[in-house]
Amino acid sequence: MTEDKDPLLLDHEVDGIRELDNKLPRWWVWLFYLSILFGVIYLSVYHVFAKGDYATKGQMQAEYQAEMKVGEALKVAAMTRFESGIPALKPLNDPQVLEQGKKTFLTLCAPCHRADAGGLVGPNLTDNYWIHGSNFTDNVTTIWNGVPAKGMITWKNTLKPNEVVDVACYIYTLRGTHPPNPKPPENLAPVKTGPSEFE
Amino acid sequence: MRAGNRGGPGVETFKYDNAIVRAFAIATVIWGLVGMAAGLLAATQMFWPALNMKLQFITFGRLRPLHTNAVIFAFVGNGMFMGVYYSLQRLCKARMFNDLLSWVNFWGWQAIIVSAAITLPLGLTTSKEYAELEWPIDIAIAVVWVIFTVNMFGTILRRRERHMYVAIWFYIATALTVAVLHIVNSMEVPASLFKSYSMYAGVQDALVQWWYGHNAVAFFLTTPYLGLMYYFLPKAASRPVFSYRLSIIHFWGLIFIYIWVGPHHLLYTALPDWAQSLGMVFSVMLVAPSWGGMLNGLLTLRGAWDKVRQDPMLKFMVAAVTAYGMATLEGPTMAIKSVWLFPRLYNTKLWSIKLANYHFWIALLGMVFYVVPIYVAGVTEGMMWKQFNKDGFLQYPNFLEVVQSIIPMYVLRAVGGILYLSGVVLMAFNLYKTAKSGQFQPDQEAQAAPLTREGASDEHSHGHRWLEAKPMTFTVLALVAVLIGGMVEIIPLWLVKQNVPTIASVKPYSSLELLGRDIYIREGCLGCHSQMVRPFRSETERYGEYSKAGEFVYDHPFTWGSKRTGPDLHRVGGKYPDAWHYNHMDDPRSTSPGSIMPRYPWLLTQTLDTACLPSRIKALRSVGVPYPAGYENGPAQKELEAQAAKVVGNRRRLPRRRNERLIVCEASNRLTKQEKRTGQIP
Repeated sequence: MTEDKDPLLLDHEVDGIRELDNKLPRWWVWLFYLSILFGVIYLSVYHVFAKGDYATKGQMQAEYQAEMKVGEALKVAAMTRFESGIPALKPLNDPQVLEQGKKTFLTLCAPCHRADAGGLVGPNLTDNYWIHGSNFTDNVTTIWNGVPAKGMITWKNTLKPNEVVDVACYIYTLRGTHPPNPKPPENLAPVKTGPSEFE
Repeated sequence: MRAGNRGGPGVETFKYDNAIVRAFAIATVIWGLVGMAAGLLAATQMFWPALNMKLQFITFGRLRPLHTNAVIFAFVGNGMFMGVYYSLQRLCKARMFNDLLSWVNFWGWQAIIVSAAITLPLGLTTSKEYAELEWPIDIAIAVVWVIFTVNMFGTILRRRERHMYVAIWFYIATALTVAVLHIVNSMEVPASLFKSYSMYAGVQDALVQWWYGHNAVAFFLTTPYLGLMYYFLPKAASRPVFSYRLSIIHFWGLIFIYIWVGPHHLLYTALPDWAQSLGMVFSVMLVAPSWGGMLNGLLTLRGAWDKVRQDPMLKFMVAAVTAYGMATLEGPTMAIKSVWLFPRLYNTKLWSIKLANYHFWIALLGMVFYVVPIYVAGVTEGMMWKQFNKDGFLQYPNFLEVVQSIIPMYVLRAVGGILYLSGVVLMAFNLYKTAKSGQFQPDQEAQAAPLTREGASDEHSHGHRWLEAKPMTFTVLALVAVLIGGMVEIIPLWLVKQNVPTIASVKPYSSLELLGRDIYIREGCLGCHSQMVRPFRSETERYGEYSKAGEFVYDHPFTWGSKRTGPDLHRVGGKYPDAWHYNHMDDPRSTSPGSIMPRYPWLLTQTLDTACLPSRIKALRSVGVPYPAGYENGPAQKELEAQAAKVVGNRRRLPRRRNERLIVCEASNRLTKQEKRTGQIP
């Protein structure tokens, strides 16, 4: 290929660099046109000629509300089903349940209640003093709803119903285990350990 | 410079300045090694947090900006200057305008880099990404950049080549736009010598920052390198450039469109819909102009592929241009230029072609090793965050589960970093040997005829060709092209009130919260944590109510962050007891088993400096935060003590953990919690 005879070679040269003047690749030109067309259409649909929620609330909020409606319905149904079944719950002894519960306990509960449940930030879970009720189902309710005023996290936002049951079953097996150096019962402990009023 | 006159009538003899090019070349290689080593250390800390060696100075949050700044501004920046100083002289057939300015440019830039390397580990940072340096250094950057620009335009005006080649167009766009971006984004009010607050608040700050951040990529990393590609690629391949008209269209298309796309970094945030949509559609429109550059590069190599096989430098070039088309990776371009330049500067051949080939394959492998795992990790993480089960519950509500699942990817990425860094070590050695084997020519003689008025009139050039002979007109048009997009997006956000609906309950930070926020910035918490809950059910289920524009009106700067190695923190206030945070800061794994967050024991023991409170409150008031008059003279300090005492009170009631001794000290010593403003959403 002899460059010098290329009819597309332009006559200028700088520091030994020469330039051809090839036509723009057609697919490239079309890609450019189409991307511009896409932009015009997109802006028209979502902004210039937006209708309904898209016009009044904007695209993001409209999409979010639609998504929430569907998702929340599903979740609320499942939660109501679970909550109405709590009174009938019984502690399980299934090793698989306890294994799963132990895993959750060590990850999420131990930071406040200690790995042996002897109490740390949160109360001792092995003694006979129960602040929010001593029944198994009371434990489930406390974990599920939390006690935000006293620093106990509302776990229904993080744990699924079966996970709450698993961990409650595991905690049930810890009763009376007498771990060393336990936290004293709540009525002897300092009054406030919850979040400060600034939070 | 006086020009000699021995090359015949009207031909001047002059000398190219190679010494300045060599200086920038050496700086490029050295800072490349430093910046990449810092990157490797940061990458390793992501799965091995103890590698900060208990030093607050090289803990991830402070190390990451050190790495990004070193690689972008020290490595790529020096490489850019090296390439521009080499090619501009030859494309203009003139020595650089002024040697003194050249050297002030060089030493000024190195001084800026050194000051960055000192201040960032000390935690002196604005926290705005790729613009972390504090205000005195910002001013120095502006001054040095203006010196570079003057030197460049001086050279262009003294050129002996009537028409400016496409490379020069890109250099002009770079010089102008970087100046505009840097100055507008760095508008800040000093509170002390090394502490300042952004003039913009919340959403505005975010938009300005990403207008800057994205275009730092565009006009610091991309346009100068496209210019360099247009010079070095046809030279290295000895082929004419594929298409002159493609050069024209992709140049103007690129600079005009690029400036609009910043908001794509803020999709689904509190930024108004219209700005997000503009950023998005212009990003789509940018594809063709971007690929225009890649095409012009690759098609220039048509008929030269046999050369590519033999020449490691051309291999780098193909990899660079292709990588640019896909993701704009500049690293390989650097290598080519050095490998091409060094033998020419030293009047010799490359010491070892074999070694350069090894470097190429190691670097390519390294890139695959860090790019692929990071993509995989990103997609995995996103899918896990958004996964719901059939009952409408999050499948992975525990954030740590997601973190744990991508740790292997972090490990692979670090392996890629080791490979890439070793490639650069090979290159540095090869270049050193090349330099040793040759003889450096500080001044290279050249000859060309000067421009004359007559020449201008008898050349009947039209259209763009005409413009190429008019540097000032060209500059003005380029400036207009780059200003439009930014102005259309940024100005309405200031002027139109409904863009940021106010929320009555949002109050400025209390004095203790303010200092806590400043510690959040100092430690670079934003390097891993976002504060922007997006309007998706998967986000609001996990974190709480989504973030509103009105919540950030007193945030100078905005602290939304840009990545979530750790969970979002916008709604974390009040979620855990103070004592939990005390333990968590001391050792994150004590409260969150499996966490990869570094320990921050110094936050429990260092004394909080409250003397800075008045100057900080005054500075914030001057940018529009409505602290009551006189707040800084007494009330602020009192409020701080009271709030700190509360936090510490909560902490004191905590039973001892392990063999820990209960540290009793000044109330204000215990800033274990990054403070959050309460903001009730109506």
